Amino acid sequence: MIMPPRLRKFALTAHVTTTVGWLGAVVVFLALAIVGLTSPDAQTVRGAYLVMEPTAWLVLVPLAFASLLTGIVQALGTTWGLFRHYWVLFKLLMALFITIVLLIYMETFSVMADVAVDPSADLALVRNASPMLHAALALLVLLVATVLAVYKPRGMTRYGWRKQHEQRAVSQP
Amino acid sequence: MADLPPYPGTPRWVKVFGILALVVVLLLVILLLTRGPGGHGPGRHAPFGTAGGHTPPSSVTEDRTPSSSGLRGHKLPEGGH
Repeated sequence: MIMPPRLRKFALTAHVTTTVGWLGAVVVFLALAIVGLTSPDAQTVRGAYLVMEPTAWLVLVPLAFASLLTGIVQALGTTWGLFRHYWVLFKLLMALFITIVLLIYMETFSVMADVAVDPSADLALVRNASPMLHAALALLVLLVATVLAVYKPRGMTRYGWRKQHEQRAVSQP
Repeated sequence: MADLPPYPGTPRWVKVFGILALVVVLLLVILLLTRGPGGHGPGRHAPFGTAGGHTPPSSVTEDRTPSSSGLRGHKLPEGGH
C-alpha cells in the first residue's frame, strides 16, 4: 500500500529522526567507553560502566526498534518496497543484525555494571575494551546504512525486477 | 501479457558488499566459536590492561538484584572532581 504524500513525509521524518538519534546515541556510548578505558579517576571509570546498562535500555534499544519499525513502514509504504532494491534490503539486514547484537549485548552491560559497582573489584578488572569495540562497529554499520540511504545505489533484486514488469504490464495493457 | 525481459544481473557493488558482509559474519562466528561456549559476555573481550577475559568477583555474582534506580543501588561517592 502506497502512503499518501503527507503521511509519507511524516514517516520519513520519523525514520530519519530515530535513525540519526540511534547514531548519536552510539557516538555517546563510544565516548563513554573511551572515558571508561582512559580516565585516571576511579569514580569516573566505575560511573561510566554503571550508566551504560540503564542508558542502553532507555535510549539505544527503543531507538533501534523505532528505527527498524519506521524503516519497514517507510519501505512498504512507498514504491521502494522492502525486498525490491538491494540498498533497502542491505539496510534492513544491517539494522536487524545490530539490533540483535545489541539485545544479546545487554547481558554484557549488566555484568560490567556488576563489576563496576563492587568496591573490591580492581579498576583494571572494571575497565573493559568490549563496549568501545562494539560501539565502534555499530557506528561503522550505521554510517554505511546512512550512506546507502543517501546515495541509493542502483540495483534491483530479481523479485523487484519481476514486480516492476508485472506492474508495467498491468498499467499498459 | 508480454514476456519478462531478462534480468540484468546483480550489480558489482552488491557482490562486493555481500562478500564483505559474509567475511565479517564468518569472522564473528569464528571468534564466538574459538572463545568457547557460553553467552556473549564481556569475558569474550580482554579487559583493558590484561591478557585475557575475566570473571566478575563472587561478591557481585552472588547479589544481582537490580535496584529501582537502575544503578544497582550504587551511589557514587561525593566529591572527587
